Amino acid sequence: MPDQTPTSIIKARDLHKCYWVGTMPFPALHGINLDIEPGEFTVLAGRSGSGKSTLLNLIGALESADNGSVEVLGENILAMGRDQRTRFRLQNIGFVFQAYNLIRVFSARENVAYVCQLQGKGRKKSMEIADHWLHEVEIGHLGYRRPDQLSGGQQQRVAVARALASEPKIILADEPTANLDSMTGRRLIHLMQDLNRRLGTTFLISSHDPDVKQAAGRLIKLADGQIVDAWDNIPKPPIAPASACPVENLPLTKRLRNYLREARKKALNKRGHKMNEDQH
Amino acid sequence: MAETGHLGLLTYLALATRNLSRNHRRTLITLLTMIFGISTLTLLSALNDGWLNQMKTNFILSYTGHLQIHAKGFEASQNLRDRITEPGEVSRLMQSYPEIIGWTQRIRTSGLASAGAGSAGIQIMATDPEQETWVTSMNQRVKEGGWLRPGMTRDLLLGRIVAQNLGAELGDRVILMAQRLNGEMVSEVFHLHGILETGAPQIDRTLALITLNSAQHWLQMGQTVTDIVIRADIHDNTDVLYRLFTQQLSGLKYEIMPWQELDPMVKQWLEFSDAYGLVILFVVIILVLAEILNTMLISLHERQKELGVIVAIGTKRKQIFLMLLLEAVMLIFLGAILGYLAGSLLVYSLADSGIDLTRFANAFEFFYMDPVIHPQLTRNSAMKILGATLAAALLAGIYPAWKATRLSLSQALRIQ
Ligand SMILES: Nc1ncnc2c1ncn2[C@@H]1O[C@H](COP(=O)(O)OP(=O)(O)OP(=O)(O)O)[C@@H](O)[C@H]1O
Ligand SMILES: [Mg+2]
Repeated sequence: MPDQTPTSIIKARDLHKCYWVGTMPFPALHGINLDIEPGEFTVLAGRSGSGKSTLLNLIGALESADNGSVEVLGENILAMGRDQRTRFRLQNIGFVFQAYNLIRVFSARENVAYVCQLQGKGRKKSMEIADHWLHEVEIGHLGYRRPDQLSGGQQQRVAVARALASEPKIILADEPTANLDSMTGRRLIHLMQDLNRRLGTTFLISSHDPDVKQAAGRLIKLADGQIVDAWDNIPKPPIAPASACPVENLPLTKRLRNYLREARKKALNKRGHKMNEDQH
Repeated sequence: MAETGHLGLLTYLALATRNLSRNHRRTLITLLTMIFGISTLTLLSALNDGWLNQMKTNFILSYTGHLQIHAKGFEASQNLRDRITEPGEVSRLMQSYPEIIGWTQRIRTSGLASAGAGSAGIQIMATDPEQETWVTSMNQRVKEGGWLRPGMTRDLLLGRIVAQNLGAELGDRVILMAQRLNGEMVSEVFHLHGILETGAPQIDRTLALITLNSAQHWLQMGQTVTDIVIRADIHDNTDVLYRLFTQQLSGLKYEIMPWQELDPMVKQWLEFSDAYGLVILFVVIILVLAEILNTMLISLHERQKELGVIVAIGTKRKQIFLMLLLEAVMLIFLGAILGYLAGSLLVYSLADSGIDLTRFANAFEFFYMDPVIHPQLTRNSAMKILGATLAAALLAGIYPAWKATRLSLSQALRIQ
């Protein structure tokens, strides 16, 4: 597909990702192409195991892919080193996870202020920013409570406030409502929608919650590691996904990998040798 | 654009202290283990230092003094030819050093003693009876009879076992035989004035003590002597004095020997005790290290998800490393300080009364030991304990902290 969207804030091309359990490959994504415009409110839907978290982690510069490219804000994040990615995340991306998002020993405002401090802001300034964002997510009065003194919905609001506090262009939320009852979840989604409208921050949210899907400005369906048009129309990949997993990424030590490579070479040579003999 | 990588020290400290108090029961148990370990270590090394110090004191005061100056070669030859011909040259220096609290001149030579029951090889030692009391406590070790007085020319003191072997009683005639400078064998009659029991076997078994004047006269030594023996105010000043004298006196003419070199057995024994102390230190520190490592790894395991999130939102590896290192170091320092305090309290409460080993005294008598050990905290062992704890803290802190930087995000973030 030619590139018709030069303004995309997120641009993924032919993304492939396998996980390895021992020497068994588990393909999680194969051939993802995705463009997201600035200011979009996108929901990523799909069954459990379809690869939602994997895709979000790749876009969020948390994990590396086997193949393909991801451009976020025009930068090729897969080419970055680990510390570079960390800096990129800190400056450009806010994260909300399903649960246990917060540093347990910090109060709500300390949690939010933490990212500002990471960005180099002073403690006092960071606390002011934290109070502001806690107010924005309507829990300004709970700033001094620690996570274990907050309800699940309130904790998720703190997480949203923290995600916003670093003033990122993009917020990635991986099933933010999965641990909440539907009412609380709906209100959280409305809050995020409202923030999206007011601030123009791009939201990419994964969910299998119907309420969330309903709120979506755009819905992306993910099935078996591929983006699909309809749930019952899953394209058959050209080669079996597992056999496409690059052996080079096997989580082995360098020595073992070299050993395997040598062994393979030897085996190939032997076969060649035999063939030569046969010809004579 | 804001620069990254500045987390205030306050944030690190807050994280570390709160994470430690997060599971306060576990932290408490770890601390108690450490307190127990470190205080035991402190007490053991104080006991070790205490009895080593007592042993040193007993050894030094029984006979050798802190420092001996001989003519070069005397310690090896034990021959009167290798004598200090101008003792004035050395004794002139004695006034100038405040570290010296006493000194005496001696003549030492081997000889033969005979009395009613038989004869025995002996070590004849001649000293100034008054000066000697400033250097050693020999005069307090007179078991029967009395100490020598200046001007006594025909009186002698014998070690308890020599006297016993010779069958000599107070007032008995004892004939000493020795070689003069010129090689001539001479003998002289002395009267047994007192019997010494120092607890040091070589002395009790071999010593015959006479006054310096009588020996100089009898052996025709003139004003010369073989030893100049010095007592320092504290043991640790031995080295200072040793250095001063080696600077002042010609190495061609004199040999200067600190007490450790005068008895190889004692030296070995002290080295052995030091090594023993190090072994205890090592064992305790390893145990403490294992405990801390265990605690930190468990707590790391429990916090995987949280650490994953902390990294995801932009914390650098270096910062994660520091966070966890600080936590371990704080834990270990708290434990070490409390442990050392507890140990010190124990030591102080025992220091005066001491630990009474009279029941086992026979085993100790041999080596200048007192049956009551007074534990003693020295700066040296405090530094050792502190240094070892610091090393352990770093070791026990670095591994989990390093491990945390290797956390797999893809796994950590999927923990529910
Ligand atoms: N660390 C890992 N090691 C091995 N396999 C993994 C790992 N993480 C994910 N997978 C596999 O990758 C596939 C995609 O996982 P992913 O977490 O992206 O799914 P998901 O759509 O987020 O599911 P859910 O809705 O349950 O969160 C799954 O089959 C999963 O088993
Ligand atoms: Mg998921």
